[in-house]
Amino acid sequence: MSGHDPNSPRHLKHYFHDVNQQYETSKFAMWAFILTEVLTFAGLFVAYIVYRSWYPDMFIDAHKLLDVNKGLMNTIVLITSSLTMALAIWAIQKNNRKLSVLMLVATFLFAFVFLGIKYLEYSHKFEVGQLPGEFYSYMGPDAVHLNNPHIFFSIYFIMTGLHGLHVAIGMGLIAWLIYSTYKGNLTSEYYTPMEMIGIFWHLVDLIWIYLFPLFYLIG
Amino acid sequence: MSENTKQNYLNHPKGIMSWLMTLDHKRIGLMYLFSGILFFFLGGLIALVMRFELAAPGNDIISNDVYNNAYTLHGAIMIFLFIIPAIPGALGNILLPLMVGAKDVAFPRLNLASFYIYSFGALFAMYTIINGGVDTGWTFYTPYSTQSTSNVVPMTLGIFIIGFSSILTGLNFIATIHKMRIPGLTWYKLPLFVWALYGTSLVQITATPVLAITMVLLMLERFLGIGIFDPALGGDPVLYQHFFWFYSHPAVYIMILPAFGIISEIIPVHSRKKIWGYKFIAYSTLSIAFIGFLVWGHHMFTSGQSVFSQIVFSFITYFVGIPTGVKIFSWILTMYKGQVSFTPPMMYALSFLFLFTIGGLTGIFLGAVALDIHLHDTYFVVAHFHYVMQGGTIVAFLGGLHHWWPKSFGVMYNQTVANIAALGVFIGFNGTFFPQFLLGLRGMPRRYATYDEQFVELHSYSTFWSGILGISIFIAVMNLFWSFIKKNKVDPGSNPWGGMTLEWTHTSSPPHPHNFEEDPVLQHGPYDYDKVIVEKTYKK
Amino acid sequence: MSEHHITPLRTYLIIAATLLFLSGVTVWVSYVDLGALNIVVAMLVATLKASLVAFFFMHLLWDDKKNLTMFLMSLMFFGIFVTITLLDTEFRGDLGLNPETKDPINKRAAFYDTLPLTDTHGHPVDEHSDDHHEDKDHH
Repeated sequence: MSGHDPNSPRHLKHYFHDVNQQYETSKFAMWAFILTEVLTFAGLFVAYIVYRSWYPDMFIDAHKLLDVNKGLMNTIVLITSSLTMALAIWAIQKNNRKLSVLMLVATFLFAFVFLGIKYLEYSHKFEVGQLPGEFYSYMGPDAVHLNNPHIFFSIYFIMTGLHGLHVAIGMGLIAWLIYSTYKGNLTSEYYTPMEMIGIFWHLVDLIWIYLFPLFYLIG
Repeated sequence: MSENTKQNYLNHPKGIMSWLMTLDHKRIGLMYLFSGILFFFLGGLIALVMRFELAAPGNDIISNDVYNNAYTLHGAIMIFLFIIPAIPGALGNILLPLMVGAKDVAFPRLNLASFYIYSFGALFAMYTIINGGVDTGWTFYTPYSTQSTSNVVPMTLGIFIIGFSSILTGLNFIATIHKMRIPGLTWYKLPLFVWALYGTSLVQITATPVLAITMVLLMLERFLGIGIFDPALGGDPVLYQHFFWFYSHPAVYIMILPAFGIISEIIPVHSRKKIWGYKFIAYSTLSIAFIGFLVWGHHMFTSGQSVFSQIVFSFITYFVGIPTGVKIFSWILTMYKGQVSFTPPMMYALSFLFLFTIGGLTGIFLGAVALDIHLHDTYFVVAHFHYVMQGGTIVAFLGGLHHWWPKSFGVMYNQTVANIAALGVFIGFNGTFFPQFLLGLRGMPRRYATYDEQFVELHSYSTFWSGILGISIFIAVMNLFWSFIKKNKVDPGSNPWGGMTLEWTHTSSPPHPHNFEEDPVLQHGPYDYDKVIVEKTYKK
Repeated sequence: MSEHHITPLRTYLIIAATLLFLSGVTVWVSYVDLGALNIVVAMLVATLKASLVAFFFMHLLWDDKKNLTMFLMSLMFFGIFVTITLLDTEFRGDLGLNPETKDPINKRAAFYDTLPLTDTHGHPVDEHSDDHHEDKDHH
C-alpha cells in the first residue's frame, strides 16, 4: 500500500494505491468510453444499412457524386496521422520529449489537412446543392433520376460531420498534449493522457476506415 | 474509535463551496438524492393533478392540451430526472466505494461533472415546463414530434445532456468496480448491490449513446428535414421507434436492476440469513442486462413492423422472465427459516416482492403479440409499468433509503411512523393501480383526459387511493428528514441492522470524509450469517 | 510505469505501410465489378485495417484483455442493433399481412417536384434545351 507516503509521485491521486492501478483504471475507462463512441456511431451505421438496403440503386448512383480522390487523400492523411500519434507515444516512452512534441505537431497538422480537404468537399456540395434533407436541390443530369438522394446526403453529412467533429475535438486535445509535453509535464514515467488521447485519435481513424468505403467506394 | 470519528463527511470540510465543489462521492450522492427527491415530488404532483382530472369524466380541472403536457412531463421527469439518475446517482454514489473498500470512485472529478451535467440538462427540462410544456409523450414518436409546436427541442436537448451524465456515471462505476476493490474482495465476495450497479452501468454506457444519437437525429429532422424518420420525405417513422427503444428498453433495466440490488441487500440483512443462490442472483443481473438489449420491439407490436420480427421479439421477451424468476425465488428462499424482522426496510422489500411479481407477470401477458395487440396503449400497460417502476423501483428505493439512512446520516428515524407509511404506500399503490388493470382489460385507452361513463367507478377508486399513496410517500420521506432535524443520533460505531458489508463493519456512521480511517481488511463475505455473528446495535 | 510494453518502431512503420497499401487495394477493387461481392470485399479490407489499428496502434494486443473485451462488446451490441432492426425492415409486409407497409418509403419526396433541373454545377438549366454540357458553364 504505497501512495500515502510523501515520496509518492506527484501525479498519483490519493485514492489509488499505486501508479499502475491508476494507469490501468484510466485505460480501462478509456476503453469503456470507446464503447460508447462506437455505439454512438452505431446508430448512424444502422440508419445507413437500413436505407442502403431500401434504396440500393440510389446509393450506388448518389455515391458517384462524391470525390473519391479527396476521400482517398483523407484516408492517407488520417492513417499517417495515426502513425505519428503512435510514434509520439513511442517517443515519450523512450523519454525523447523533443521527438514526441514533433510527432504531436505533425499529428495536429495532418488533422488540420484532413479538415481542410473536408472543407473543400463540403463547400463544393454546398455550392451545387447536394445537401441533406429539404435543403437538397441538385438535379443535375447524373442525379435527376435518383429516388430521394437527399437521404444519402443526410446520412453522408451526419456521419462525416460527426466524424469531423471528433477530428476537431481531437485537435483540441492534441494541442493540449503538445503544450503539456513541451512543458515537461508528461514523461516516460507518466504519459497517461497521451495514451488516452492516442486511443481516441486511433478511434477517429478507425471510424474513417469504414466511412471511406461505405460512402466513396460503393461498388 | 478514535477522536477522529467526530469528523465525518457531513461536517468536514465546512462551507457551501465545499459542497458545491466537492469531489467526495458521498456528498455528490447526497446532491443527487436531494435533486432526485425534488423531481420525484414534482413528477408526483403532476401525476396527482392527472389523477384528480380523471376522477370523473369530462374536463373538470384541466383541458385536453394541458393533460397532454401533463402526462408527457410526468413521464419525462420521473424517468429521466428521477428514476434513472436517482438510485445509481444517489445510493450508488454513496455506497459503491464504501462497499468495495475504496477511498472514492475511480474518477471523482468526472463524478462531480456528471452531477452538474445532470443539473444542466434538468434546467432545460424545467425551461420546458415554464415555456408551456411538451405534448408528444415521453417517447417523442415521429412524425408528430417533428411537427409539434410545443417545446420538443428544449426537452430533447435536456434528455440528450442528461444522457451524458448517465454515461459518465456508468463509466465511473464500471472502472471503480473493476479496479478499486480492496485486495481479497473478489467478484464473488462483492455485495449484490455492487453486481447490480455493475449491470446497470454496463447498460448505461451501452444504450445511452444510442439515445443521444436518436435525439440528435430527431432535432436534425426538425431543423433540416433530413428525411430519415419522416415518411413525407421518404423516411420511416418506425425506424425512429427502433432507435428510441434500443435505448429505452434497456433503460427499463437501468431503472430496475439497482432496485434488485437494494432488495438483495435488505433481505439477507433483515432476515439474518446468508443469501440463497448468490451466484444465481449475480449472473441473473448480467443476463437481464444482456437480454434487455434483444427485446425492444415488444413496445412496437402495433407499429407495423414485420410479423417475423414481432415473433422474434415476443419469443425473446419471455426469456427475461427466467433470470427475473430466479431472483424472486432466491429472495424468497433467503427469507425461509430466517429471523425476519419487520423493520421499515424489510416492509418495503416485502412490498417490492409482491408488487414486482405482479408487474413482472403482467409483463409476460404484454410480451405475447396476440394479447398485446388488444392491450396496447390501454391502462393495462399503464398499470403494468407502474407496478414495475413504482411498485418495483421506487418502493425499493424507499426501502434502500430507510436501510442506509442511519449509515448515511448517522440518525435514526421513527420506525413506527416509517412502518405505517410503508403500509400506506403498499395499500395506496395497489388501490391506485390495480383498478387500472381492469380498466385496461375493459378497453380504457391511455393518454386521454376524459373517458366513457362505464369507467367512472374504477377511475374514481384509482383517484381516491392515489391520494393515500401520495400522502404515504410524503409522510415516509418527511419522517426521514424529520430524524435529521430532530438529531436522533445513532452511535457512530453502530450497526443498527447487523449488516456484514464493509460500509457497516468498517466505517463510522456517518462515514469518515475519506471513507475508512485505515485501509479496510476483508474478514468475511457479505452475507456470512452462518459463519460470523454480527450484533444488531439498534433496539427499538 | 517503465514496465509498460513498448512497441518497436519497426512494427509501427510496417503497420502504417500495410494500412496505406490496403487503402490502395480497396480503392482499386471498387473499380472491379464483382457484383454483390464488392461490398463484402470492401468490408473485409476495412475490418482488416481496423483490426491492425486496434491491435497495434491502440495496443490492444499487449493490453489487459478486459480492454479488448470492452471493444468487442461494443461490436457485439452494434451487431445486435443492426441484426434485429433488419429483421423488421427487411421483412415488412411478410406473410402477406399489412402489405401496405412493404414499400412505404419508395415514394419520391414531394419537394423534388418543385426543384428545377440543374447542370452538374447545380445551376438551374432551361428545361426545354436538352443539352446540359459542363463546358457551357462558367469556369
